[in-house]
Amino acid sequence: MTSNLLYAIGVLAAWSGAAMLLRALYLTLRRAPGVAISAGAGGLLLLGASTTPVYAQGLGIPILWIVAPFAAWATATCGWMAAVRLFQAILDGIRSRLYAGLIWIAAGAVFVALYRLDPESKIEIVRGQIGLSLVSGSSLVGLAVAAIAAMAAASRRVRQVSGRLAVHAALLAGSIVFGLPFAWLLVTSFKEDRDMSNANGLIWVPRVQRTVPFLDPSDPLLEGEYKGNWVQASLSGRTSNGSYIVEVQRPASLRGVSFVGAPKSFRVVPKDAPVVSGAGFIGFVTKELDDGRRVVRFSAPLSKAGKEQTFMPADLQPVRDIALRTQNYTDALEAMPIETKHGLVYLKNTLILVVLSVIGTLLSSSIVAYAFARLRFPGRDTLFKILLATMMLPGAVTLMPQFLLYRSLGWIDTLLPLWVPAFFAGAFNVFLLRQFFSQIPTELEDAGKIDGAGVLQTFWRIMLPQIKPALAVVAIWTFMGAWNNFMGPLLYINTPENMPLSYALQLFQSERGGEPGLMMAFATLTILPVLALFFFAQRYFIEGVTLSGFGGR
Amino acid sequence: MALSGFGRADTTLSVWGAQLGPDSIAGSLAVAQTFETRHPGVHLRLLGLGVGHMNPQKLLTAIVGGSPPDLIFQARFNISDWASRGAFIPLDPFIRRDFNQPDCPREKEYYEAAWSEAVYKGKIYGIPTGADDRALYWNRGLFSRERELLTKAGLDWRRPPRTWSEMLRYSKALTIKGKRAGFIPNFGNAWLYLYAFQNGASFLSPDGKSCTLASEPAAGALEFMKQGYDIVGGYTEANVFQSGFQGGENDPFISGQVAMKIDGDWSLPGLARYGPGLDFGVAPPPVPDDRYYRRGRFANEKDQFITWIGGFSYAMPRGCPHPELAWEYIKFASSLEGRLIENRAQASSDRAKGRMYLPRIQGLKAANEALYKLYCPADPKFAEGLRVHVGLMNSARVRPATVVGQLLWDEHVRATEQTLLGKLSPMAALSEGQQTVQREMNVLASKGGYPEVSFAVVGAIGGALALAGVILAVIVWRRARLGILARKEARWGYLCIAPWAIGFLVLTVEPMLASLFFSFTDYDVLSPPRWVGLRNFADMLGPDRANVIKAFANAGYLAGMGVPLGLASGLAVALLLNVGVRGIRFYRTAFYLPAIVPVAASAVLWIWLLTPDPNKGLINTVWRSSVGSWLALPPPGWLTAESWAKPALVLMGIWGAGSGMILWLAGLKGVPASLYEAAEIDGATSVRSFWNVTMPMLSPILFFNIVMGFIGAIQEFDRVYIMAGDDSNGPSDSLLVPAKYLFTNAFGYFKMGYASSLAWTIFAVILIITLVQFRLAPLWVHEESLK
Repeated sequence: MTSNLLYAIGVLAAWSGAAMLLRALYLTLRRAPGVAISAGAGGLLLLGASTTPVYAQGLGIPILWIVAPFAAWATATCGWMAAVRLFQAILDGIRSRLYAGLIWIAAGAVFVALYRLDPESKIEIVRGQIGLSLVSGSSLVGLAVAAIAAMAAASRRVRQVSGRLAVHAALLAGSIVFGLPFAWLLVTSFKEDRDMSNANGLIWVPRVQRTVPFLDPSDPLLEGEYKGNWVQASLSGRTSNGSYIVEVQRPASLRGVSFVGAPKSFRVVPKDAPVVSGAGFIGFVTKELDDGRRVVRFSAPLSKAGKEQTFMPADLQPVRDIALRTQNYTDALEAMPIETKHGLVYLKNTLILVVLSVIGTLLSSSIVAYAFARLRFPGRDTLFKILLATMMLPGAVTLMPQFLLYRSLGWIDTLLPLWVPAFFAGAFNVFLLRQFFSQIPTELEDAGKIDGAGVLQTFWRIMLPQIKPALAVVAIWTFMGAWNNFMGPLLYINTPENMPLSYALQLFQSERGGEPGLMMAFATLTILPVLALFFFAQRYFIEGVTLSGFGGR
Repeated sequence: MALSGFGRADTTLSVWGAQLGPDSIAGSLAVAQTFETRHPGVHLRLLGLGVGHMNPQKLLTAIVGGSPPDLIFQARFNISDWASRGAFIPLDPFIRRDFNQPDCPREKEYYEAAWSEAVYKGKIYGIPTGADDRALYWNRGLFSRERELLTKAGLDWRRPPRTWSEMLRYSKALTIKGKRAGFIPNFGNAWLYLYAFQNGASFLSPDGKSCTLASEPAAGALEFMKQGYDIVGGYTEANVFQSGFQGGENDPFISGQVAMKIDGDWSLPGLARYGPGLDFGVAPPPVPDDRYYRRGRFANEKDQFITWIGGFSYAMPRGCPHPELAWEYIKFASSLEGRLIENRAQASSDRAKGRMYLPRIQGLKAANEALYKLYCPADPKFAEGLRVHVGLMNSARVRPATVVGQLLWDEHVRATEQTLLGKLSPMAALSEGQQTVQREMNVLASKGGYPEVSFAVVGAIGGALALAGVILAVIVWRRARLGILARKEARWGYLCIAPWAIGFLVLTVEPMLASLFFSFTDYDVLSPPRWVGLRNFADMLGPDRANVIKAFANAGYLAGMGVPLGLASGLAVALLLNVGVRGIRFYRTAFYLPAIVPVAASAVLWIWLLTPDPNKGLINTVWRSSVGSWLALPPPGWLTAESWAKPALVLMGIWGAGSGMILWLAGLKGVPASLYEAAEIDGATSVRSFWNVTMPMLSPILFFNIVMGFIGAIQEFDRVYIMAGDDSNGPSDSLLVPAKYLFTNAFGYFKMGYASSLAWTIFAVILIITLVQFRLAPLWVHEESLK
């Protein structure tokens, strides 16, 4: 299915490329600008189309398929461009066109040389739905002529529309490129481990192992509770008084735990036995032997059904269905240390950090900015210049002494070093807010003064409401900064209970990096809250970037 | 159990460095949980925390910060580095006390090599659990297919090579240029250490005071490696050949593209998983001919074959909150019973995933025997492989226990590379490494020669500065001569800026002065600083110059490539969007989204996108079907290849360039339409009006972003830390950046003084670059906007 889709895209690209080249030809004839863009885009599209696998044919689109190495394509493009330029030179008599044409010819010669160098390069013409004959060839030429005639007949309006289309095509292609990593992230978070790698390109349609419920009398799966946690366990023995000794299988964070419980406290549940197929049979695995072999109970063909046989793993193929493996998410959450309550504690810490940082920054930055903007006191301008200068100071210089300072305060392994500094007004935010305060007309303030409002009242009641949008921007930037903060937790936090998401994610990567499914599930969960916030407060995000960028002026 | 007395109700025992990867988590947890059930009230907390291997930062900050764990599961090879800093507690008193208990670890029950690696200055600092040794893997099927070839070369195709010269001959016979390599000396896991040990080299003098890296035997071993590489076409060729095959299923040994390799016992599970049908054999790694035939230097040598081992040990950090309980845990986890529990749990977990279970080699002799009996695979070649690995344990060597173990390792890698690249002769390369190591050993030995600085002096200087500040403030206040109202307003003013002022003094001025002071000292936080004058700066310009230059050069690359490319791509998108197409909100969101993904998340995501294996990594899959197929270029190694690591970061930066796009969009909106109209009347083409109208109008934004971009790029840290790994600087230090280097020095080696001088250098560099940019600005930034 994927290959057909690719083929369709390739065919479409090839046709569009051909159309662009024809348009370039037409533009040349009309001596209109934009030849190079059209020809270049057409060449690129054809080049792109050439990556489509050639073995896939169909969909009823008639096509001539040319398979050529890059050098050949480049030669063709150079030849085409040279012809265009020389033609223009003859028509217009402009000298620079002639030079351009010569340069293209030279470039073409280089590519011809490159093409000759590669012994394995050859050009093949693969036939699509229409055969390569005199009839089809002449009809293609006829098609081209008709297309150019149609272009000539088309009005100026059509030209504009095609320009728009080109812009949209470029933007759409860009969005797809930018969105591809997200798509990959999401798909991977739903894939089984064995689909993480594939010799025929990436797997975009996740499949999941088919299982059948299987009540195994010899090795039952038990469901029960262990220290308040739901567990599934296998029976590993019995004590002298008849209690079960069991070994936990799920959740993953308790796997391998062995404990004793009364038989009544457990419920026998069916196992998920993986369905496998082999030479002429389908069955499911009932047991894994110590030496690596597997016992399979047949389900088809009927003549064998119910019988068991032992196989080497290499002789068995898993039976799988198209589905999303949501278990990656539950596994990722189960794999978090027990004391983090399936990662909820990470989220809680991040939220604490974010909320306190935002509150602290808003309060402190706004009041400091207000003082710098509106109150007069000796040394104000000097102090403000110092404030601006600190914006350039690299964090590295203060990193170690700050660590020693927090250590002497006993703040190691707490969230304090991460949010307390927010209450001491960051230089950039002060600067930004000051610009906004300065723009508020003094009349407002004077009115407040006449009403007998003090400094704080004026600030709180009159000035602050005026700069709400700027405050929102500062809040969002602080939010992002706090959510992102990585080096801080790396230095100061030592236990999972105090860890925010960013650091937890990095640790998860360094510990469980071998399991991309779980990794990507966790990464998706970390990104989701930020994305949600973005969609609710898009305006402020965009404004924030704009303000920060112009802030330096 | 009489031991329950150790733990009061609800004692938490924390273990760091726990192996929680998919191939070990079940076993680690099983041991911990069994311990819990036997000691009611004790709760075990296993954490990986990225420690235990070569990255000491987390553990050291915890020890210094006063919250260390009870136990650390540590790579044995680094234990002496730690012990020498007084960071670990010696375990001898515990062993002496409990010597007669059945579960007490006793030296004679362990392989000599495994035990001795954790011994520093006669004291034991860690009890070994796992051990890994290296053996020769040879493709029996291939040997048999190529029997004619081998017979013609006078070689026996039924057996693997046993000596170095045989090895080279087999390799020569089996190598087909560009298609198949007979033997690549460093493919798998051998390093110079293995060949040097085989040749009788030792890396330290017996008293441990001088480095003997540059010895005849080591040089001979390096010469052998060089010959081995020459047969397969040279070091660079071999690396290119190798880089095409990352990932377990692409193992060139499995596909028959490498006929022989030396690798550790951990490669057996990989073979079981990805190449169960491969007909291979495992044998002791070939040794120098003289050693094999016991002649010359080796006439009286006991061991015919030699391997080297590494592995992990449990150790107790200084300040461990529950030493008794921690010792109980060490005893349990390293005992035969503990080892069996771990393996049983891991076996059942692996089998549940449908994989064959192959136990790993242990440091405890009895554990190896028991595990071999229990989990002997049905397939004879795997059984044989396991047996060979176990057998080799008796003639294993280990890397020397020394303060400078890590440095010695790094330098030996560097010397190997230099020789194999043909830049230096073996002896010259090894001598260079030896000098570096020796210098560091001398510095550590001479530490006492510098005077201690008492904090009272520092405090006094600080106090004097503060007093001067107060006096200055009072003078300013007096001079101002304010009226009553103005005075009141000024008081409010000071009150309002107090949050910033206090923060500025406490969190900026004070740390800056402190860091300036530290830059003239040798300070490891564990003991008082010692005044060394300008030595730190001299080191930076002298012995450590190469690293410092490399770090700044890397940062310069990231800034020089990343900033312009990021800005340009943002501008390109903004220009497209600015023509007034419909759906601008959609496109804007699509391009901007990557910019708001948290750095940690995007770094983790990109590690996977950039996986070099084109069957796994998105980027290389696309590469393989586009650029790769057009130009017949092999997919780049990205983060695993020296020349691609930085471009990988730049690429990732472009993905996150959405905020630049928004900025440009806003800027473009601000360009007055009248200017374009005027240009059109003058007959300017769109290209011309872009360069002559748009760009000058946007130049202030460009300027601001270049300045900020450079400042940011020079301080790059988060991405590099996550993507290169916490204990690595990328291949050949290609991702060594100043901030990371500073961080490693400060919180990894605890060279606070040196790190401070680095910090000030970074500051100076940023300041100079920024000033230069401001100076150059009038030349190209549109003047009106510069005021």
